[in-house]
Amino acid sequence: MSKELKNIKESVMGKIHQGKVKMRPRIYFVMGSVLTFVGLVSSVLISVFLIGLMRFSLRAHGPMGEYRAEQLLTSFPWWSPAVAILGLVVGIWLLRQYDFSYKLDYKIIVVVFVAVVFSAGWVLDMTGLNEALTRRGPMQGMMRQYLEENNIQPEFGAGWRGPRGLRTIIE
Amino acid sequence: MNEERNKKLSDEEIIGKVRSSDQELYAIIVERYQSKLFRYANNLIKDEHKSADVVQESFIKAFVNLNSFDTKKKFSSWIYRIVHNEAMNVLKKNKKEISIPDDMDFQSDEDIEDDFIKKEVVAKVEKCLGEMPMLYSEPLILRFIEEKSYEEISDILRIPMGTVATRISRAKILMKHLCQKN
Repeated sequence: MSKELKNIKESVMGKIHQGKVKMRPRIYFVMGSVLTFVGLVSSVLISVFLIGLMRFSLRAHGPMGEYRAEQLLTSFPWWSPAVAILGLVVGIWLLRQYDFSYKLDYKIIVVVFVAVVFSAGWVLDMTGLNEALTRRGPMQGMMRQYLEENNIQPEFGAGWRGPRGLRTIIE
Repeated sequence: MNEERNKKLSDEEIIGKVRSSDQELYAIIVERYQSKLFRYANNLIKDEHKSADVVQESFIKAFVNLNSFDTKKKFSSWIYRIVHNEAMNVLKKNKKEISIPDDMDFQSDEDIEDDFIKKEVVAKVEKCLGEMPMLYSEPLILRFIEEKSYEEISDILRIPMGTVATRISRAKILMKHLCQKN
């Protein structure tokens, strides 16, 4: 056992002396933390918006089940879940990279992430904030393009009628 | 003179110096922890060569990522955590069941004076712990062999203190059942 221990010290210090092992600079971890935070926040925001878009898409095509399902399949923005999953994978990869000593339970992270996204999407939808954002915020262009591509006329010009106004107009 | 003074510094103070000016001082950290970490790793892996590799790799990882360590926290918990992760990786690769060392000694109310009886008890404990899932045996090892506080175990295993207490309590009960059965 003592021989093993002697080897440990010699080997570790030897690698440090030879320059085979180098300390990562502080900026590496600062940038890692910033990128992780920005990545996760962006991922949540994009996912929340996409949830809103999905709900909007479902409502915009009316109550006819078959038509709705068909519309959903043909016009559904399939890239959106891909982007959300990519964001999640990148986020977890960043966490692993910059928080190496933590043994994270990634199943819990994924479950919490999905729960947060869906709850936030639902809350935003209920309060009508997402509709306000799609009319005024940076997502306006994207939403307009989606409506044009799918021949939906939501009468944006008719005026804002409260938090659920847009829904009332469309339905 | 300087060397003696450095040896009296706390882990966190040494880490601060290693990061800012003198990487040579990392040898003091290695010296301080290598035996304890080797014992801990060997308790989990039960293979001296693999345990030595795990400890060596952990020291290297700790050094490379030393700037991510928060000096306001305990270095000991941080390095134990790294060893834990490395040991888990080795165990996952080998799919090997854990067991306990020969010199394992649990605190007991019983006054055991006879060496023979003591060895018999240790052998029984070893058998019992070997049958116990790592979920329960690892907190026991950290508490009674590594003599860590509940707070430190919580930091090392990244579980709440309440969970540590529950697992240790259940581990004791489980141990009793397993030992009685044997």
